[in-house]
Amino acid sequence: MQVQATALRQARRLLLAAAVFLLAGCSTLIPQTVGLRTGWPAGVPQQVELAQVPFFPQDEYQCGPAALATAMKFAGAAVQPQALVEEVWLPARQGSLQLEMLAAPRRHGFVSLRLAPTYSDLLREVAAGHPVVVLQDVGMMLPQWHYAVVNGFDYGTGTIYLRSGLNPRQEMPFSYFERTWLAGKYWAMVVTAPDDIPVTATESRWLEALLGLGRSGEHQAAVRGYRAALQRWPESLPAAVGLANHLHASGALEDAAGVLRSALQQYPDSVVLMNNLAQTLSDQGRHADALFVIRKAEDPRNPFAGEVRATRQLIEQRMRGQM
Amino acid sequence: MNLAFKKTTCRVLVVSLFALSLQTAHAGLIGADQAAAGTTSPERAMLLSTLDRTDVVAQLQAAGVDPLAARERVKSMSDQEVHAMAQDMQAAPAGGVSTWGWVAIVLVAALVWYYAIRK
Repeated sequence: MQVQATALRQARRLLLAAAVFLLAGCSTLIPQTVGLRTGWPAGVPQQVELAQVPFFPQDEYQCGPAALATAMKFAGAAVQPQALVEEVWLPARQGSLQLEMLAAPRRHGFVSLRLAPTYSDLLREVAAGHPVVVLQDVGMMLPQWHYAVVNGFDYGTGTIYLRSGLNPRQEMPFSYFERTWLAGKYWAMVVTAPDDIPVTATESRWLEALLGLGRSGEHQAAVRGYRAALQRWPESLPAAVGLANHLHASGALEDAAGVLRSALQQYPDSVVLMNNLAQTLSDQGRHADALFVIRKAEDPRNPFAGEVRATRQLIEQRMRGQM
Repeated sequence: MNLAFKKTTCRVLVVSLFALSLQTAHAGLIGADQAAAGTTSPERAMLLSTLDRTDVVAQLQAAGVDPLAARERVKSMSDQEVHAMAQDMQAAPAGGVSTWGWVAIVLVAALVWYYAIRK
């Protein structure tokens, strides 16, 4: 009897240890799903499904263009997956790179924002009405990268809803989805109109996203994006500079000068603002005003001293030309 | 195991090893035709980003993208993104060989060694 009892106790202890190991294993295999069980993000409803998100069944490898078209169309772009193939498809790799997925919507005047690699940001964006493009590894043995669009979830049943491949409504458990998503380091992005800042966006990430938009020459869209940024982060100096630059680029010099002047009230010592204001005034033909502004910006220790000098020389040259 | 079967297995394995290794070897050629354009500022960062852009355009072309389209595609990336792209375009997931691919290569190599060399 004594022996049996000891054996039983040992077996129990072993079972407990096994259970602990198993659970510990679980939490490292699907750390974020385990985290969601206790910490559901605040303010996110338990069930969301964006039924209006369009669906484009994709050809074999072209999940990138299809997923992108899904998100862009929902954001308001008139675009078809076939047209996007030329913009994001890499023939030699039989796929699309993440950076190119981020770059493509900008050429159409939309903003793409990479999300922070967390479940809570994904859920918050979907709850806010933004379908999320995700990168998954859906291969069994060898990696097989795949882009899909998350358009809903249900906490009760622990299900994520996706527009994926040929499946207009793929249901995937939170845990399994995390495994496929983890392989690509939780890569996720949203596409929005420039005046619709995603809920999870921070000032620096949004401004970074707008940089790309501005580079692609979409000045009107960039103006909308920077205006929205200034509304949400009124203190932002880079947003003011960006807004003024794109107003300038689209020909609205008076508006650009106005933005710079009001930003100068907040940041009276900003050399960047003074330099750009002087340039704008000079471009309007108000060289004397421009010279007055640029003189205040002269400080040889400033990192922009070179630019300031160049602006001043340009203004003086223009003034000589007038005489 | 008879000799003919062993030989066939060996051949198959050698061929598959070659196929896999060719997949991993990618040419990272830098295109000489990309003239650096629009560098008015002599700042180093600017120069670097231009170099990166040229590099990425060349890499896109090497991956089968039309030269004009490649330039367009790179245009709408921020400097930071171009830099990241130049660094790891070959390694970024799009459907290449990664961890499991290496496991497969090692496995195949081990099998080749076992059948062909260790008689």
